[in-house]
Amino acid sequence: MSSVLNSRLDVNSDAFRANRDAMTALWEEVAAQLAELPVVGGQSKVDRHRRRGKLLVRERIEALLDPDTAFLELMPLAAACTDDPIGAGTVNGIGIVNGVECMIGGTDMTVRGGSANPHTVAKGMRAFEIARSNRLPMISLSESAGADLPRQADIFVPGGAQFRNLTRLSAEGIPTITVGFGPATAGGAYALGMSDYVVMVKNRAFAYLGGPPLVKMAIDEDVDEETLGGAEMHATTSGLADYLATDEMDAIRITRDIVEHLNWRKLGPGPSMPADPPLYDPDELIGCASADVRVPFEVREVLARTLDGSRFEEFKPLYGDKLVCGWGSICGFPVGVLANNGILFSEESEKGAQFIQLCNRTDTPLVFVQNITGFMVGTAAEQGGIIKDGAKLINAVSNSGVPHFVLMVGASYGAGNYGMSGRAYDPRFIFTWPNHRIAVMGPKQLAGVMGIIARKAAASRGTEIDEDTLAEQTGMLEALVESQSTALYATGRMWDDGIIHPRDTRTVLGMAISASHSNEVSGTGSGEWGVWRH
Amino acid sequence: MASLKRLLIANRGEIAVRVARAAHAMGMEAVGVYSEVDRTALHTEVMDSAVALGGRTAAESYLRGDAVIEAALRTGCDAVHPGYGFLAENAEFAAAVAAAGLIWVGPTPEQIELLGDKVAAKRAAVDAGVPTTEAVVVTADSDPRDLPLPAMVKAAAGGGGRGMRVVTDRSDFRSVVAAATREAEAAFGDGTVFVEPLIESGRHVEVQILGDHHGNVVHLGERDCSIQRRHQKVIEEAPSPGVDAATRERLCDGAVALARGVGYRGAGTVEYLVGADGTIAFLEVNTRLQVEHPVTEAVWGVDLVELQLRIAAGEELPFTQDELSPEGHAVEARLVAEDPDAGWLPSTGRITSFHIDTAGPIRVDTGVGVGSVVSSEYDSLLAKVISHDRSRDVAVGRLGRALRTAEIAGVATNAATLAAICSDEAFIGGTVDTAYLDEHPEVVHGVGATGDDRIAHALAAVFCLHRTNRGADHNWAFAPSGWRNVATQGQRRTMSNARGTDASDSIQVEYVVRDSAAGSLTGATVAEVRLGPFPEPDDEGLLGPDDRRVARVVATVSEPVGPSERRQVSLELDGISRSFAVESGAPGVLAVFGTSGSTAWFQQPSFAEREATEAASAPVSPLPGSVVSVHVAPGDEVHDGDLLVIVEAMKMEHRIEARATHTVAEVRVSAGDKVDAGTALVTFAD
Repeated sequence: MSSVLNSRLDVNSDAFRANRDAMTALWEEVAAQLAELPVVGGQSKVDRHRRRGKLLVRERIEALLDPDTAFLELMPLAAACTDDPIGAGTVNGIGIVNGVECMIGGTDMTVRGGSANPHTVAKGMRAFEIARSNRLPMISLSESAGADLPRQADIFVPGGAQFRNLTRLSAEGIPTITVGFGPATAGGAYALGMSDYVVMVKNRAFAYLGGPPLVKMAIDEDVDEETLGGAEMHATTSGLADYLATDEMDAIRITRDIVEHLNWRKLGPGPSMPADPPLYDPDELIGCASADVRVPFEVREVLARTLDGSRFEEFKPLYGDKLVCGWGSICGFPVGVLANNGILFSEESEKGAQFIQLCNRTDTPLVFVQNITGFMVGTAAEQGGIIKDGAKLINAVSNSGVPHFVLMVGASYGAGNYGMSGRAYDPRFIFTWPNHRIAVMGPKQLAGVMGIIARKAAASRGTEIDEDTLAEQTGMLEALVESQSTALYATGRMWDDGIIHPRDTRTVLGMAISASHSNEVSGTGSGEWGVWRH
Repeated sequence: MASLKRLLIANRGEIAVRVARAAHAMGMEAVGVYSEVDRTALHTEVMDSAVALGGRTAAESYLRGDAVIEAALRTGCDAVHPGYGFLAENAEFAAAVAAAGLIWVGPTPEQIELLGDKVAAKRAAVDAGVPTTEAVVVTADSDPRDLPLPAMVKAAAGGGGRGMRVVTDRSDFRSVVAAATREAEAAFGDGTVFVEPLIESGRHVEVQILGDHHGNVVHLGERDCSIQRRHQKVIEEAPSPGVDAATRERLCDGAVALARGVGYRGAGTVEYLVGADGTIAFLEVNTRLQVEHPVTEAVWGVDLVELQLRIAAGEELPFTQDELSPEGHAVEARLVAEDPDAGWLPSTGRITSFHIDTAGPIRVDTGVGVGSVVSSEYDSLLAKVISHDRSRDVAVGRLGRALRTAEIAGVATNAATLAAICSDEAFIGGTVDTAYLDEHPEVVHGVGATGDDRIAHALAAVFCLHRTNRGADHNWAFAPSGWRNVATQGQRRTMSNARGTDASDSIQVEYVVRDSAAGSLTGATVAEVRLGPFPEPDDEGLLGPDDRRVARVVATVSEPVGPSERRQVSLELDGISRSFAVESGAPGVLAVFGTSGSTAWFQQPSFAEREATEAASAPVSPLPGSVVSVHVAPGDEVHDGDLLVIVEAMKMEHRIEARATHTVAEVRVSAGDKVDAGTALVTFAD
């Protein structure tokens, strides 16, 4: 591939500096929350945990990982902008254990005693989905106080899926390893029961359907915890535990040994292109995107700092130029890129649909770079068939078989989110930049639309509109939507897999793409028809 | 005059290589001999041809005189050079060589016989007017009243310190002499011992002599071999810094007189002990080339092996005493495969790295190289490292540097000890005696790298491991080292100088890589490093303040080369850059070579080595059955393998044994009880 992107970015320009400063300020907000994460349960809880001789969940993960390798924590700020603690009391991420990319999960016992809230459940479900779709062995570093009982109504029914998911993973040939570090009561006990491999830490891990008080209540039996469900009992008597670990580090050693004997083999191809870094400094990504999503920016500047060697073979550069399509590679993995350089017209939609089909024929994963305020509206667009053309794009996105990766570098409004493989379209991963905005439409437009409807309604009723009240209502609405469309709000709802610093874009996408190659990478195949030229 | 064309070298190791070099320089062919162990040894390789002697031990190979002579005859050799050790001072062998029609490179059998007997040698020395103290042959029954105290008891047939004992109290005389006699009898087959006054704080000084077939005898000055460990020479030099001109003259004149007196032919050495008060005791004559001959060669500008060969061929000495004059100072260190930190235990194994910088210049006489196997069959000398300069200080300094920067891995050596001696004030001052190493135990363990030097050594090892780890990452090699989006701690490594050592000498390193080699022009890794014990929670669970030293490290690590995965490392620690070569042995084991010495590093495992799974702590019945007998009671301490209970089940008796050390807390069954599978029989208190 000989075409190389030529950057025109002026890092000394006022615009770059303004964007850089604004993005930096947004990132600092994110960074502050990330920094708080390891002790979000409170220092006293952390101290108490350590006083019991236990490692913090991230310390366990550090010990589990291969030395000097990276760890991509996913949804770290789940439950941000909610009443639940950020992180939702668990850690999930992809890391390398004995050379195998694994989905690693763990409970943070310092956060409300490791109890699960609805965000915890949702985060766990998403982690399962990532493990399943990318075929990643799943390691759960487990201990839990069970459900956050006052909120059981929001947890109990959907939460049941986690046990089903465990055995479904196993059925699909994806190994599941659960390491008991502490209590596992009732449903939690099934997290062990449903796993392929169970390691339990002696004198620390317990598993029972009902604890001693419940046993006393139910059948009037006096029994101590160790006899009822201790690690040693399960290793010697019940057979629930396959391995009895002396202590936490021993449990981690055993877990690494288990992964070693899996003889794991990735089903997707390895990297096949040169993985040289971009020609342009990824640190400059901080000033590439407009801090104000209403100001357009050249998305090729992002690609020039993300693709290997800044190489990009553009497809149909002269047609539908507001959707930049083309081929490149990220960390050696070939990818097809669809990147917004403005709104989607009929031409852009058709071009995108054609490109997605082409990439499916060559089993090329797709990277969507979203900065989209929507499909074009208006008479000309409608009469030009924007709905049916947009439908072609959404059709192609929906039925594409190759892995999709989404990078949010600005706006993600309206059906543009769908056409560019938003969350509902099951991309393997979505990562966002701190300036990301996501909503059905821009807050100002939304408030304006509401204003127009209010006036229309008033007119049809024949009543006067109170301009002050309307201004106040639309202003409040705009502010509400604005606050609900920020990157932090979005990641708190787990609409994405995490906010990343722009300079880490290539690293994070590389890790995600590599992990997705644990599974087969195949498109829709030759199919019934040839590739449609729309 | 005979013309020598082909020389059989009846030896191994560095001296065989050394003799072959001289033979080659004279246009001769060199024929070697080798044992089974030495088939691929360096000395076998440098020969024009070599004859297999078979066998492993010295007795099975190099000490087999008949086999050696047969080898010489088979290969058409005209002369035999014995080197030192093995058959070099065996008069019978020398005679057999001559009887086989071969030229013996050395003194006559009669001279070997005479001078090899310490008592006879001493008599000859006294007769020739060699300055010495009196020696008296004794037995355990001798009258100790006339004994000069303290005295040294020696074996007449002895050498190498064996059979030597000190008597300080007259009442010990009988037992000491009896022990020395037994030892001499066992070691040499001759229990004759004699006593002579013990010279305390003495220097070991020896004079090199050469005599030819024409009655010419010269001396080549003295060597000082006072740095000894248990009578084994460690460092030798010429001239002696501890004798004055008058003493030197007496020593040399005496040596020449003795050689003349016996008509000595070839190279030999007259050994003396010189007391601090100037007392001179004649010790013995070595009728062969000495290990430490290179210092004499350096100072006198001669090749002693060449001269030996010329003399053997019947040539006259090419110089008279007047034509000879010494220049400068030469120092030699004996690099041996012995571990001073482990009580000088011989270290065996395959040499994975062997490099001594010869710039300066430095002379290295060695019989090993990379790939050589050091076995326990032969002596542990790996190499002799020699420097020569006008100034003794410079010669010593250059030798010290060559030893500090020596890159030897695969076996432990005394390089650090030798380097430490070279920088020790007492040695540099030239005032040391044979008790030096006993009185300066601090140099034994070497100075090596200390302070930031040592930390830099450890970091060089750490960042080589880092590089290896990154190279082993086949998934995310593109990612920055240890990348985290939620940062908690850095990458932690514990390095120590010995495997499984206690934490006292270990270095704990925690680093966060700020910028890694990928894509950088210099390939440097920039890291923020914390040095010191990892924070551990106290009883309250508090980590306390982190007062570890924070350093900035820039490590440039080259690609590995060769089987030892040698890497060049430039390590900048807080603005000071040091260069190292680092080699990897087994996983997590690294040898770091730097200008301040070499260090070995073992990465402490993150996980304790354990049995695959934890044994259940409480012994249980394996099957449903009945208890036959109980063998312990509460409070008993039991150990691995101790019988606790016998259970009969399925017509078999099952012995239930302890698997570790425990104290019995409770015995839950008694004889005759029915038990189910899994029933706990005994519980332990711990």
